[in-house]
Amino acid sequence: MYLAEVETRAVQATEVPEVTSCTAKWDSWPASTISHHGQACCEIAREWMLANDFSQLGDAAALTGPRWLPKKYPWGPSPWPMHWCEAVGRKKLDCGAHQAISQELFTARGVQSRPAQFVQQFSEDATRHWGHKWGEDQVPAGWIDGDVIYHEGCAVTVDGDEVKLWDASAGWWIDPQQSGGYGALLNVRIFDPSAEAPQSLSWGGRQLAVNRWNAV
Amino acid sequence: MKIYVSGLYSGGNPQPGVGITRSLRQGYPDATLVGVEYSNRSSGIHWPQLDEVWLQRPWDELNLSAHGDAIRALLDGGALWISGSDLESMWLASVFPEGHANLLTPNAAALARITKPQVEAHEGLPVQIPPYIPTDRSDWDLHAFCRKHDWRVWLKGPYYDAVRTRSWDSFEAVRNALAKVWNTERLFLQSHVTGYEESVMLCAYEGELLGCVRMRKREITEEGKTWAGDVSEVDEAFLTPLRRIIHELNWTGGGELEMVRDADGKLWLLEMNPRFPAWVHGATIAGVNLPALLVEGATGVAAQRPEPGRGEFTRVVVEVPVRSEFPLPPLPEHLGGGAGHSLKHPSGLPALAERLHKLNVLDGGDNESSSGGDAPTVPNTMVEDLLAQDFNRIETPAWVFMESTAVDTFKRAAAMAHTLSTNQTRVTNAYSIKTNPDARLIKLALDSGFMAEGISLLELHKALKVGFRPDQLILNGPGKWWPEGMIPKEQIHAVFCDSAPDLKKTVAALKSGELKAKIVGVRIRTPHIPSRFGIALDTPETFKSLVESIATLPEDTGFGVHFHMASSNIGVKAWWRLFDSMLRWCQSLERLTGRTIEVLDIGGGWFPDDWHNVDHSDFAKAVKRAQAALPNVGQIISEPGKAMAQPTMALAMRVLETQEEDGEITEAVVDASIAELPMYFHYPHRVLTQDRGGDWKTLKRGKSQLMGRLCMEHDVVAANIELPEGTRAGDVLVFCDAGGYDRSMSYVFGRG
Ligand SMILES: Cc1ncc(COP(=O)(O)O)c(C=O)c1O
Ligand SMILES: [Zn+2]
Ligand SMILES: [Zn+2]
Repeated sequence: MYLAEVETRAVQATEVPEVTSCTAKWDSWPASTISHHGQACCEIAREWMLANDFSQLGDAAALTGPRWLPKKYPWGPSPWPMHWCEAVGRKKLDCGAHQAISQELFTARGVQSRPAQFVQQFSEDATRHWGHKWGEDQVPAGWIDGDVIYHEGCAVTVDGDEVKLWDASAGWWIDPQQSGGYGALLNVRIFDPSAEAPQSLSWGGRQLAVNRWNAV
Repeated sequence: MKIYVSGLYSGGNPQPGVGITRSLRQGYPDATLVGVEYSNRSSGIHWPQLDEVWLQRPWDELNLSAHGDAIRALLDGGALWISGSDLESMWLASVFPEGHANLLTPNAAALARITKPQVEAHEGLPVQIPPYIPTDRSDWDLHAFCRKHDWRVWLKGPYYDAVRTRSWDSFEAVRNALAKVWNTERLFLQSHVTGYEESVMLCAYEGELLGCVRMRKREITEEGKTWAGDVSEVDEAFLTPLRRIIHELNWTGGGELEMVRDADGKLWLLEMNPRFPAWVHGATIAGVNLPALLVEGATGVAAQRPEPGRGEFTRVVVEVPVRSEFPLPPLPEHLGGGAGHSLKHPSGLPALAERLHKLNVLDGGDNESSSGGDAPTVPNTMVEDLLAQDFNRIETPAWVFMESTAVDTFKRAAAMAHTLSTNQTRVTNAYSIKTNPDARLIKLALDSGFMAEGISLLELHKALKVGFRPDQLILNGPGKWWPEGMIPKEQIHAVFCDSAPDLKKTVAALKSGELKAKIVGVRIRTPHIPSRFGIALDTPETFKSLVESIATLPEDTGFGVHFHMASSNIGVKAWWRLFDSMLRWCQSLERLTGRTIEVLDIGGGWFPDDWHNVDHSDFAKAVKRAQAALPNVGQIISEPGKAMAQPTMALAMRVLETQEEDGEITEAVVDASIAELPMYFHYPHRVLTQDRGGDWKTLKRGKSQLMGRLCMEHDVVAANIELPEGTRAGDVLVFCDAGGYDRSMSYVFGRG
C-alpha cells in the first residue's frame, strides 16, 4: 500500500461465473453423514477415530485441521450409505466421508463445526478423469457437472459467528480471498438445522447466509 | 538517475538485488541501474536489466576503507545505493555514522534495535517473540531449554542461518559449524512456532514510512524460502504502531518483518531484516513497488506506478545469458572426493562478519569476553560427596557413589509421591532396576517406600534379594519371562503385557496358576509416537483386537494400563500431552471393554532436573485429570530410573597427557573413555575438578578436547571444555551425572 496517497483503488468487479444450473442440480443433496449399526462394531470404530484425533493433534491448537484423516484415508470413490465400521476399513474415502468424520472430530475437540457444501470450478480435463475413476469403482459421479464439481467440507467456528472453511479432503483451509479460476470456490452452503441457527455466518469478511447457497 | 543495487546472489536462498533491480526498472525505465557484487559467482550479475555491473573482490580481499571512500564518492556524485545484504548494511552504517542523503540503508542505532532474537524495536506491534536462549549459557541449561521445548528448536546464527536441531548431538554439531562460519559463540536457540509464515515488507525515508505490504507464503522451498505468495494490505492494527516505530528508529531503506501466524491467529516475530526481501518484485507485480517508492521518497522524482495486479505471484527458474565481460569461472575442484557444488556464500560474507567483529562494528569474534559461557551449577550435595572422597587413593577410572546426593534424591521422590497421593488415588514410585541395578540404589528405593520394576525375572530376583516383598514387584517389558523357570511363586503386584502374544501368554500363565499377579494390564503405544514397545493403537484393526483380547483377562485380577515414553527425548510438554492422550485411550478402553482401570503406570524416562523440579501443581492437576477420566484408578505408578540414578554416581578419571598450542591446552587424553560414558552423545555431563585450594569447580566450555583412552575415533568425552591453567598429567577430573545408563550400559573395552 502507498501510504502517502489516499488511494481509493477501484475494487475490480471480478466476473461472477455462471453457476445457477449447478446449484440447482445439487440443491436437494443433504450433507453426508456416517451411519451407526448401534453395535460394538461401529462403536469401536468411532472411538478409534476420536481417540486417534486426540493423539494426532498433540499440543496443537484445537482449531488445527485434522489433516491426518485424508493422509490415512486418501480421497477416492466411496460407496454410500457408509457405516463407521466400514469407513475405518476403507483404503479411500470421499469428501462426504471426510466431512462427516471431521465434523465429529471437531465436535469432540469442543470446536463447533457445521457441514458445508461447495461448488468448485475445475476443468473438463480434471472432471473427465475423476469420472473415469469413479466409474471404475462403480460409484455414481453425480457430483460432477461439466467443469464444475460438488464438494463437501466443514464450516468451523473461530469466534462467535465467524467461521473458517476446512476442506477435509485436501487438508487445507479454503482461502477467503477468492478470485475465480481453477479450483475456485463458486458457491457455498452451510447447514445448521438447529433452532438457534444464526441467519448468517462471517467468512473472511463476507457474510454467508445459512442453509442456502451463497455465490462467492 | 543512477542507482547502485547490491546483493545479487540468486541461488536457492537468494538475496533481493535482482528483485530490486526489476522493480526499479519498472518504476524508472530510464534510470541507470548498477549491480554491485563481491563475487562473479553470484548469478544475479548477469540479470539483463542491469545497465552496468560494479564487481568488487570478495570481502576478505577488499580494502574496506578504500571501498568506503569509493562509495562515498559515488553518493556525493548523486548516485543512490540500495543494499541487498544485512552485513553490508551494517558495515555501511559504520562508514556513514551520520548517514548520507543518497544512502538508502538504516542507521547504526536502528540496526542495533532490530538485533535478533529480541528485536527490541518490536514493542507495540501485535506480535510476540518465540522463547529463546542465548548459547552462552551452560550446556546443562541449553539441554534443559531443548527438553522444555520438546526439541522443537532452531539453532540460529547471529545474521544468517537457522537449523532445526532435534537431538543433543545434532545441536553440538550445528553449534560447532555455525560458530566456525560466523566466528562467534553468539548463537541462540529458539523455540519452533507452528503456523503459516507471513511477512510485512516496508520502505521508509528518514523515519517516514512510505509504504508497506503484507505477504503470505503460499509455496515454500525446503530451505523455508518463499516460492510463491500473495500480497495484501497491512491492517490498521499493525500499521499504526509500525509507523511510530519506523519514525522512532529514523529508518531509511527497505525492511522486512518475518513472522509466523499460529492456528489461533497470533503472530510471532522471527526477525526484522534491514533490507528488502528477495520476493520484493512479487509485490511490484501485485501493484505495490516499494523500491521505486523509496527512490521517489529520497529524490522527489515521481516513479511510474505499476499496473494493479491480482495479488499473487510465483517464482520460476529462468536461464539468462552470461555477460561477455564476466565469463563463468571454473567450478572448484572436488574437495577430498566430495561432490562438487557451488559455494554457499560466494562473496565471502563470513569473512565480512569476521572483519566487522575486529572493527567492533559487530559483537563477537576472537575478542569475545566469555566465549566459554556460564559454568553449570551443581547441587551442594554433589560437592559434599566429592569432598568426602580421597582421590589420592582412588584408582581411575572409577565410579564414585554420591551418597548424600542419592539419599536426597530418593527422599525428594518419596516426598513428592506422598504429597500427590489422595484418599482416592495413591501415587507410588517404582524404581526401574535396569537403569542402575546397584544394590545400594535398590535398597534406598526400598527404604523410601518405592516398589521395584523389573524387565526380566533376574531383575525381580535381585529386588527380592535386596529385601523387596513379592507384592512390591512390577514386571514389564518385551522379554519379561526370561530366564525360564524363575517366575516368583508368590503373588506379585503387577504385570504389563507388551504385545498381543505376550497378553495371550500371560492369560495362560494366570489360568494355569504359574503366575499370580494382583494387577494385569497392557502397555499401550499411542499413535504418532515412534516406539517399538507396547500394543500399537495406530490402526483401527489393532485397536479392535486389543479391545477383544482385554475381554479374555480373568475377572478376578485387577486391570491396569501402562505407557512409557522418555520425556528426556520427546520433551516435557510433549510428555504431558502424551499423558492426556493415554487417558483418552484409557477412557475408550473402559467404555468398550466394560473393564475398569484400577492402576495407571506412567513409566519413567524423565531427565532428573525435570522430575525433581516438576511443578507439583502440574502433577497434582494431572492426578486430578486421571481421577476425572478414570474414576476407579486407585493407584498411579511412576517408574523413575535415571531421574533417581543419574545424579548418584560420577566417573572420576585422570589426565594422562596434554597437548598445547600457543600456551593453551588443545587436547588432553584421559584414562576414562566412552566405554564408561556411553551417554556422552545424548546429554551434557557436568565436569568438576579440584583447584589448588581444594575447592571443586565446574568447568565451562572452552577450546580443549578431552580424548578417551580407547583407540577409537569417536572416543571423545568432551569436545569443547576449558581446562584450568596448569592442568597436567595425573590431575583428576570428575564427570557427574553418570549414574544412569552410563553406569549400567558401560562396557569393558581395551582392558586386555
Ligand atoms: C517400562 C519402563 N519403565 C521405566 C523405565 C525407566 O526409564 P528411565 O531410566 O529413563 O527413567 C523404562 C526405560 O526404558 C521403561 O521402559
Ligand atoms: Zn458397524
Ligand atoms: Zn468432493
